[in-house]
Amino acid sequence: MADGNNLEELRELVDFLKANGIAEFDMERTEWKVRIKFESAAAPTAGLNPAQLAMLMAGAGTGIPAPAAHAPHAAAGAQEAAAPAEEENLHEVKSPIVGTFYESPSPGAPPFVKVGDLVEAGQVLCIVEAMKLMNEIESDVAGEIVKRIATSGQPVEYGQPLFLIRAREERRKSS
Amino acid sequence: MFRKVLIANRGEIALRVISACREMGIRTVAVYSEADRNSLHVKFADEAICIGPPRSAESYLNVPAVISAAELADAEAIHPGYGLLSENANFAEVCRASNIKFIGPPPEVTRMMGEKSTARQTMKKAKVPILPGSDGIIENEGAALEWAKQVGYPVILKAVAGGGGRGMRICRNADELPGLFQQASAEAAGAFGNGDLYMEKFIERPRHIEFQVLADEHGNVMSLGERECSIQRRHQKLIEEAPAPALTSGLVDWEAMRDSAHKIVSLAGYTNAGTVEFIVDPAAGSFYFLEVNARLQVEHPVTEAITALDLVRWQIRIAEGDRLPEGLAGLGREQISGHAIEARVIAEDPAAGFLPSIGKILGWAEPRSPGVRVDTGFGKGSEVSRFYDSLVAKVIAHGASRSEAIQQLRAALEDFHVLGVKSNVDFLLSVLRHPEFEAGQIDTGFLARNFEGWRPSEPDAVVGALSERAATARPAVAATLRSSNPAWSAGDGFRNV
Repeated sequence: MADGNNLEELRELVDFLKANGIAEFDMERTEWKVRIKFESAAAPTAGLNPAQLAMLMAGAGTGIPAPAAHAPHAAAGAQEAAAPAEEENLHEVKSPIVGTFYESPSPGAPPFVKVGDLVEAGQVLCIVEAMKLMNEIESDVAGEIVKRIATSGQPVEYGQPLFLIRAREERRKSS
Repeated sequence: MFRKVLIANRGEIALRVISACREMGIRTVAVYSEADRNSLHVKFADEAICIGPPRSAESYLNVPAVISAAELADAEAIHPGYGLLSENANFAEVCRASNIKFIGPPPEVTRMMGEKSTARQTMKKAKVPILPGSDGIIENEGAALEWAKQVGYPVILKAVAGGGGRGMRICRNADELPGLFQQASAEAAGAFGNGDLYMEKFIERPRHIEFQVLADEHGNVMSLGERECSIQRRHQKLIEEAPAPALTSGLVDWEAMRDSAHKIVSLAGYTNAGTVEFIVDPAAGSFYFLEVNARLQVEHPVTEAITALDLVRWQIRIAEGDRLPEGLAGLGREQISGHAIEARVIAEDPAAGFLPSIGKILGWAEPRSPGVRVDTGFGKGSEVSRFYDSLVAKVIAHGASRSEAIQQLRAALEDFHVLGVKSNVDFLLSVLRHPEFEAGQIDTGFLARNFEGWRPSEPDAVVGALSERAATARPAVAATLRSSNPAWSAGDGFRNV
C-alpha cells in the first residue's frame, strides 16, 4: 500500500500532528488505516496553560542545547578525531604522562619502531621524558604500526595520541 | 619578574590567579584533568596542558605531572591556589629542586606548621596562648580529674584515634567526669578499636577568628587584619566576614591577637601569604592559637575588600623578591574601610542532608551590582563533577557597615540563580536573615543550633512545575518567577519587589 505518494502524505501528517502538539491520532479509510502515537512528553504538562508556557519558553531559545533527542550529536564532535581510526579498526597508543616525546633511545640512534613494523604487546614504542626521567612507552596491542603521530622532541599531554596501530587480532581493550 | 606562571589548581581559584597574572602582564599556563577539558580555567589561560585522568590523585595531585607540565611550558613559577598541592611540603621541595619558584612559604615552614604538635611546641615557647590540652593520653578517671582541676571546667574528652564526634564527651564538673570518661572510652574502643582518650579545655560558643598576614623574603611581616569565620557547617566555613564582629564589639583584645599573629609568623620564618587561626572564648575574653594556614585562603576576598589590597598579586610580587613596606607592622583599625561578607555557594542539596549535587549547569545568572564581587569557575554549560570540590562560587559584598554589607549580600544572593544542579543559596539567605546573625551573635555552633533540619520554603505548584521546565530554559525565566513570588522573598523587608 505504501507507494511513494502515500509515504509523502504520511510525512506531512506526522509533521502536522507534531506541530500542533497532538499526542495520539487514529484514521480509517476503506483501503488503509493509520494510528500514530507520540511516546515522548511533547505535550504540555497538565495543569499549565499552554499559551502561558509557550510564552515563557519563547525566550529560552538562545544558545540552549536542544532537548534530549538531539543530544547525541553534541558528543559526536569530541569523537571526530577518533572516528577514522574506528572505521579502519585502528588502535591509538596514547601518552600515559605529560612530557617530551622521543622516537629513539638516544639522539642519532635508530627509532624504536618505524611505520610498517610489526610489534608485540609490551614492546617499547618510544620514550616520554618527564622530569629528566626517560619513560619507555610500551604498546598495549600487537599489530602493525600504521602511523607515528607525535614527532621526536615534541611536548605531549596526558592522553595525547602517539601511534596508530592496526591490531593483529581482536583489539585489546584500551583505556 | 616572572614571564610565565603555571596554576596548579582548578575552579574559581585558578581563574582568580589567572586574572591577577594577566593584570601583571604574566602569561599563564593551566593544567587540567580529562574531566576539566571544557572548564573555564582551561579557556582563560594562555596555555593549557592535560595532566591526567579525572581523579585528583592522578592529575591535580600528581607532582611529577604538574612539574613536567611546568617544564614543558617553560613556566618559572607555580601558584598552587588553595587545597590540592598548596600545603604539600614535598611538592614545594620538588619545585625548588626543579628550579621552579613555588609561590608560597618554604617547605621547611609548611612542614613545621603542618605538624600540629611541633607547631604547638613552637607557640608555647613563643608564649602565644594555645588551647590547654593534655598533650598525650589520659590514663584513667583519676588522671582526668587531676587534669581538669588544673585547667578548670568545662573540659572535653576526645578519642586519640577518633573523629566525627565518637568517643567525645563534654564535662562540666567533677561529679560527671568519671562516668563520661568510661562512656567515651568504651565508645572509642567500639568505633576505632582504641579506647585511649586525651583532654582539652572546652570553650562554650567558640568563635573562629583568623589574621591575614603577608611576609616577604627580606624579613618584613605585615598583618592585614582579621576575619571572622564562625558560621561553619561541620567545620566547613560557609560565611566569612571582616572585620570580626567579635573584635569590633571589644570582646577580645584586638591588638594582643594581632601581635600574636605577627610573632607566630616572624618566629616561624614564614614567607608569602598566610593565615593565623585562633579560637576565641567569648565568655572569658581569651583567645588561643589554632593553626597557621600556609596558603591563600578561600575567604581572602573579604580582606581584599576592606584593605583595597590584591593578595594574589602580593603573593606573586613576594615570590618575585619584592619588598613589603619596611617597618610597618600591619594595618591599623583606621586603615580598613567598611565591612565585607562572603558567602560560599555550594552545589549541594540542603533539603537532602546537604548531599553534593552534581551535573551540568543549564542556567546561570550571577548578581552584578556595586559593592558585589563574584568569584567563580563555573557558568552555563559547566559541569559540576563528582571528582572535585562542590564550591561553585563565592559572593562577596562590601558595604560601609556590617548591616549594609548584610543587605547587599542578601540582595546579591536573591539575584543568584543556578539551574541544573541544586545549590545552597536559599540556605545562605536564611542564615543572613537570622536575627542573631544580624546582631553579630555568632559562634561555630550557630548553624547546628539554629538550622538543624532546615527546609527551603516550598515554592508553589506553578513555580515547581516551571523550575523543572526551566532546567531547559534560560535563567531569566526562573528569575522573573522568583522575584514575583512572595514565597521567595518572605521574611525579608529589604527587597520585596
